[in-house]
Amino acid sequence: MANILTQNDIRHVDYKDVDLLRQFINPHGRVMGRKKTGLTAKQQRAVEAAVKRARFMGLLPYIQK
Amino acid sequence: MVEEAVKEMETDTDGGVTRIYEIGYTISPVVKEEDVEKTVGSIRSEIEKAGGSFIAEGAPSLTRLAYEMTAGESEKRIEHDRGYFGWIKFEADVSVAGALEAMLKKDESVMRFIVFRTVREDTRAKMKAPQLREVKRTDTIKTTPRRAEESAGPVSEEELEKALQDITKE
Repeated sequence: MANILTQNDIRHVDYKDVDLLRQFINPHGRVMGRKKTGLTAKQQRAVEAAVKRARFMGLLPYIQK
Repeated sequence: MVEEAVKEMETDTDGGVTRIYEIGYTISPVVKEEDVEKTVGSIRSEIEKAGGSFIAEGAPSLTRLAYEMTAGESEKRIEHDRGYFGWIKFEADVSVAGALEAMLKKDESVMRFIVFRTVREDTRAKMKAPQLREVKRTDTIKTTPRRAEESAGPVSEEELEKALQDITKE
């Protein structure tokens, strides 16, 4: 099955799209693995970088209780 | 192929290499709303000074942060749970990125900032519905209380009393 990024034809992952990024993090705020996200290696790297940028800017949490 | 893409983004203009960057910044909530523009203006002037051009911009707006950030001088560090977050996408010489970072590091009103390379196209995702499953879930939540209200609405006081009497009889 196609993943979310492919389905919606998203070529670039922006760190400001918090709602999109939230679909790739678990309730604790950790980035999901590729087995769960179903992303390609390239997409996973882009998501990872975007999540880290969003965390630094305070848009996403580092940890969530 | 990668080299081709990079070459496309970089255009040589009289010796210097121009690239597309994006800067995101969070301005301290201590700063008054009128003064936020001043900080943004200083960023813009820094880019303009080096002959850069703006591509897109997101105006700073007061947003809630996902966690508390500490900001301020070493003696009196204050925790903030909100900040003015804004961003600018621009095309400029490679030296601008370094100059911007140096400038913003000194600026006390800017809590955090991030400068990175990006592409000219709009990178914001155009998503329709978040996910079908979630939509279904919210629908069920909405309909259940409505039904409860409907059934609760017509119940008159008489019926209530009757029900109460039945309970007391038992």
